[in-house]
Amino acid sequence: MTVKNVHVDVLVVGGGIAGMQSALDLADQGYRVALVEKEPSIGGKMIMLSKVFPTLDCCSCITTPKMSAVAHHDNIELLTYCDVQAIGDRPGGGFVIDVVQKPRYVDIDTCTGCRQCEYVCPIDLPSQFDRELGAVRAIRVPFSTAVPQKAFLDIDNCILCGKCQQACPVEAIDFAQQPETFTVEAGAIILATGFELTPAGAKAEYGAGELLNVVDALVMERLLAPTGPYGHVLRPSDGKEPDSIAYVQCAGSRDKTLGVEYCSRVCCMYAIKQAMLLSGALPLADITIYYMDIRTFGKGHEQFYQNAKAMGIEFVKGKVARITEDEDKNPVVRVELIEDGSKVVERAHDLVVLSVGMLPGYNPKSLYGVPVADDGFAAIPAPNIRPSVTPKPGIFVTGAAAGPMDIVDSIVLAGAAAAEAAAYLEEVRTPSPQRAAIEEAVHA
Amino acid sequence: MPEPRSNGDVRIGVYVCYCGGNISDVVDCEQVAAALRTLPNVVVARTDMSMCSDAGQALIETDILEHGINRVVVGACAPSLHERTFRNTIARAGLDAGLNPYLYHHVGLREQVSWVHQGNPQKATEKAIRLMMAGIAKARMLEPLEPTVLDAEQHALVIGGGVAGLRAAWDIARRGIRVTLIEKSPFLGGHMAQLETTFPAGEDARAALGDLIDQVVAHPLVTVHTRAELTGVSGYVGNFQAQITQQSRGVSQGFTHFAEAAEVCPVEVPDEFDYGMTTRKAIYRAYPGAYPDLPAIDWAHCDACGKCLSVNGTGLDLENKPATFDLNVGAFVVATGFRPYEPRRGEYGYDEHPEVITLPQMIRLLALAGDGPDLLWNGRTVKNVALIHCVGSREIPGVHEPQPDGQVNDYCSRVCCTATLHLATELRERYPHLNIFDIHEDIRTYGRGHEDIYTEAAANRVGFLRFHGDERPDVLPAPDGDSSPLLVRVKDYLTWGEELDVPADLVVLATGILPSPVDDIISLLKISAGTDRFLLEVHPKLQPVETAVPGVVLAGTAQGPMNIQEASAAASAAAAKVAVLLGQGSVKLEPFVARVNHALCDGSGECVAVCAYEDAITLQTVSDNGQTAQKAVVTPANCVGCGVCVSACPNHAIDVQGWTLAQYDAMLDALAAPLPVLESAT
Repeated sequence: MTVKNVHVDVLVVGGGIAGMQSALDLADQGYRVALVEKEPSIGGKMIMLSKVFPTLDCCSCITTPKMSAVAHHDNIELLTYCDVQAIGDRPGGGFVIDVVQKPRYVDIDTCTGCRQCEYVCPIDLPSQFDRELGAVRAIRVPFSTAVPQKAFLDIDNCILCGKCQQACPVEAIDFAQQPETFTVEAGAIILATGFELTPAGAKAEYGAGELLNVVDALVMERLLAPTGPYGHVLRPSDGKEPDSIAYVQCAGSRDKTLGVEYCSRVCCMYAIKQAMLLSGALPLADITIYYMDIRTFGKGHEQFYQNAKAMGIEFVKGKVARITEDEDKNPVVRVELIEDGSKVVERAHDLVVLSVGMLPGYNPKSLYGVPVADDGFAAIPAPNIRPSVTPKPGIFVTGAAAGPMDIVDSIVLAGAAAAEAAAYLEEVRTPSPQRAAIEEAVHA
Repeated sequence: MPEPRSNGDVRIGVYVCYCGGNISDVVDCEQVAAALRTLPNVVVARTDMSMCSDAGQALIETDILEHGINRVVVGACAPSLHERTFRNTIARAGLDAGLNPYLYHHVGLREQVSWVHQGNPQKATEKAIRLMMAGIAKARMLEPLEPTVLDAEQHALVIGGGVAGLRAAWDIARRGIRVTLIEKSPFLGGHMAQLETTFPAGEDARAALGDLIDQVVAHPLVTVHTRAELTGVSGYVGNFQAQITQQSRGVSQGFTHFAEAAEVCPVEVPDEFDYGMTTRKAIYRAYPGAYPDLPAIDWAHCDACGKCLSVNGTGLDLENKPATFDLNVGAFVVATGFRPYEPRRGEYGYDEHPEVITLPQMIRLLALAGDGPDLLWNGRTVKNVALIHCVGSREIPGVHEPQPDGQVNDYCSRVCCTATLHLATELRERYPHLNIFDIHEDIRTYGRGHEDIYTEAAANRVGFLRFHGDERPDVLPAPDGDSSPLLVRVKDYLTWGEELDVPADLVVLATGILPSPVDDIISLLKISAGTDRFLLEVHPKLQPVETAVPGVVLAGTAQGPMNIQEASAAASAAAAKVAVLLGQGSVKLEPFVARVNHALCDGSGECVAVCAYEDAITLQTVSDNGQTAQKAVVTPANCVGCGVCVSACPNHAIDVQGWTLAQYDAMLDALAAPLPVLESAT
């Protein structure tokens, strides 16, 4: 690709649902936006999901049109597979950002996304997109609905056999590509750097990631997704269809032993949603959700929970203490049945899903000068009145970078961050006497 | 190599979406495509896992460019979701091929087929084919249309002066767009003003609110009208006429003798600011520091005795003279907020035992309580407080008694758990010896910093008891001899379902959130409410703050329970949508409006008589070849395309563009036609 210097009104960092929405809400107002994404495709975590609560819309139906709108918007410069390297203040206001285009080893302007390279590549790698349940090639289009629909080469795993180069009908493959640095000048920045999940091995009591039939909820999303690895829900150890599935709530949230004392806010609803989808996919399976509190607080969420109960999904109050496995690799859950005489029981299930929590995806302190709070998410000095404003003037935050939140709340906050950034730009252009007071009040 | 095509050839591309399984789990999409491929004019018929993805859209673009497709039919989700997505797709491809975005028809295979015929895949597949055949029949007759582009009034009307309305107004004004904010009551601030501190940080609520109000009222692009209500609406997005009715304040600028006037005012009424726990006079201010810095006369209670005039008559006028005025605005922001649930008489002893109060009342009680070492209520020292959650929330139809209007609040009110524990923390700090019992169904301290409040309450000797939703606690008079007047009887599932009696000198009901009663605004703006009675968005993820009426957006708790942070975010998001609509100075209206064929029109005027919209269709003198005659003329901006005129016209002279009678006929014929011979799916 031709590397150029980019002048925009706003740089949005992160191409997940929050970043895409902020970019669209600004671009639709006529502002120029650059959207920078570290992965080869935008879409973030949301594009990996199956269906989304509480409407049970297919996730692609919500995400992919937004991805497409971002890619085709006249006011959006899409910068995928790029890292922000340095940030400086622009004289007169705004920022100068050094961005590195990582080499795709594929010319993005020439590549047609035909996947011929992928078909001939001899290297099979665990698919991170499918949470290591499926395989991908070293050179590939990231996933079927990726934006851009362009191949990239995972050079660390490439054996330089050259087959892709021979197969490519448009000679797009270029092993000699180098990282290229360019600058983005922007009047404001929106951080939409998202979240990571509790690592699989985080909790020793839950098998430390060693038990085959204990998976995290994102694995289950992939198993349930129509684009998923098997097309069926199968358990990892032996490919059996599970008859008994248990959800362990707060597996990584509200847990001082992990240093994560907060509620991750989405896990109750995604577990209930998955339980409902499993009831459809495996009508005979027993599904149990072990929980501390059911937190279905959003619009339509409580009704969703009550529907799940009516469908026969079993809700058991109790924090799971330990997960072991029996000789058939069935996970065995040890739990105090608080509502049943506080009996401590051990129950075997075919498959256990850990409702893992949300951790900050990125610490913006050193690069962006935005401090984080005790929970590791971006600090927000006036959370009630200005929920997307960071202590650093001109830098705003949205989505799960501002703390755990679901898709709806991320989309709404993305609109708020866009409004704040737009107002900031206008006030810089037309300074008002109030501005100094506002900045003083917020950033004091 | 593009296939040759002649002008006027109808070349239809047909696309059947799997919808990520939503459709293909029931409908055999491959069979549908195979059947449609056999129909006249259908050049390609394809399927895709998600047509709306970039890759799916690229299929259509490629077919337009390479196969000369000039009509597109997509069978997918409901048109409300992605009809516009695909119109944009073909318009984009049209840069080269010259395709008008209205040469498109969308068939809802998800809502109309797969979701409602899950048990019968074969019939569902046949129905899908029929609906698609009808769509194809219509597509053959589609004509290019052009949207109406009109100047937009760069002026928004925000309805409601609580935190959401203020936040929306501020953001719109900062973006450079004029705003008028109307508030029904005489003072700005809404319910946030009634709070002392906010969770999670314990910030001074009125100080934070006051800062926001200062910013809003000082902004040169903002005009604020208190005591003002929306009483009439006409027009359309970008160009609405809003009629506003404003009650007199009764007090004009420069009046300085409020304290004296209130002193002599003989009328004493319950003060709604303190939820009736104190009284105020008929001349009043909501709270010290309220905006505007002027008292108001409460017309419902002032008997115009004139005593206040004796203090210093200048600036007082004891006659209410409501005035109406019109505003031309481009968009509305509905920020009409909430009201707390008011328990029925006898619900948990409310209105029967004076020791039972609501959480909003308790917050005011603590604000008024002073610095003494003991909390006093009803002349007694409070030793035991019971906090009961989910009052008016999470109700179960068939178990809990409906409200007088038949409503059962089956939703979670979202803020009460954290608000209750925030209160418990304050109680513990101020009254270390108090026994505090928290009686809940689940503790939902979900937000950032909220769990800390729960943990702190637990560490600070708040006793937690847990009930089941269908076994809610009872509030009963305590037996004689007990030191507390009430007891709360609760089947506590944290102690194995034992029935416990909790002594209570004060029972606090954590009441839920109801939408403000806004039936008038709903009917004026033609927006809708959901079954929970909160105002309804188009789609929680695709258009989370937009209503189905273009130019009307939602901000804050009018849409559903939210805390202050969430209401602020929603309001700012609404402001962003207003900026998208009005920021460019013009709006595009869909071309689906009535069109009169003047050759057939005889000027009977029956269409004008039945039309429900002002100035949408009128009789005008039209001259044609030197002849003048009365003919019906449509003003596209005022027409909503409802089609009533079409059915009234005795001469079949009117059609709705994009949905003509001939197109309907063709669709009906196609629905009744035999199915194509089904090829086996590939």
